[in-house]
Amino acid sequence: MEEDEFLGEKTFQHYCAEFIKHSQQIGDGWEWRTSKEALELPLDDSEVTEATAATEVIKYEYHVLYSCSYQVPVLYFRASFLDGRPFSLKDIWEGVHECYKTRLQQGPWDTITQQEHPILGQPFFVLHPCKTNEFMTPVLKNSRKINRNVNYITSWLSIVGPVVGLNLPLSYARAASQNE
Amino acid sequence: MAEQPEAVLPLPPSGAADGEGPTDVSPGTATPEPPSSAAVSPGTEEPAGDTKKKIDILLKAVGDTPIMKTKKWAVERTRTIQGLIDFIKKFLKLVASEQLFIYVNQSFAPSPDQEVGTLYECFGSDGKLVLHYCKSQAWG
Repeated sequence: MEEDEFLGEKTFQHYCAEFIKHSQQIGDGWEWRTSKEALELPLDDSEVTEATAATEVIKYEYHVLYSCSYQVPVLYFRASFLDGRPFSLKDIWEGVHECYKTRLQQGPWDTITQQEHPILGQPFFVLHPCKTNEFMTPVLKNSRKINRNVNYITSWLSIVGPVVGLNLPLSYARAASQNE
Repeated sequence: MAEQPEAVLPLPPSGAADGEGPTDVSPGTATPEPPSSAAVSPGTEEPAGDTKKKIDILLKAVGDTPIMKTKKWAVERTRTIQGLIDFIKKFLKLVASEQLFIYVNQSFAPSPDQEVGTLYECFGSDGKLVLHYCKSQAWG
């Protein structure tokens, strides 16, 4: 009997499909892409936020991929200025929400690393998946207790997203509980 | 965030607050809204008229997270999730390395800047907003 809640690939696809359904309803730009090597869910060009320091527009791009080795979803992301200048790890770090900084400060370089995107082959930042089970397990166990279906992807993204600037609209929460 | 320890008093309110801070609101006392320092106060049987600025939140622990002795709180609508997280962490005496997550619908974590008033509008029922909280060593 497994203690941790792992996510199988097929289940990952299923939850992504449900997630995309809602995304299409609200038009926030998530798409589904497959390739032989990996399954992914990229969010293209939808996140454009203004930096507070100067009148700069920053473009964030988020991709959700499935990690076969960890059996969990993984968040790949990158950011750049509109003129194409990419964000460095230091820039990314500065963009992390205040409330996570204390925790991440103890090891930001372990938590957010730069990796090659398995499909695009370009450098992306990745939120390390090794602790995913730790925060997902209580949520999943709890919902199982009350016999409720939880969209793993929605829950997971609602937790990790804000760390790197991605905030899911609240309507995802309602959508997730409607898909029973 | 405004000073919290004063707001953290055990239930039930035993009459008037003794000047320690704007916290207890006993039923029968028409206490005016306390100064902004008490953004979170124990929620008892607060008369409906007074709760326009505050909403009732019921906190439930998930997993092996410690259970709060006081579960029901009256919170200002503009309090953010992050503010609530800080408050609960202090209340539960969690260390900095422990992360605390708050969920609506037991499964969705609103972003830290989300206001509880909005969450109440979307997910509240029976006059209260139920929030589940869970601690974790999520990163590192």
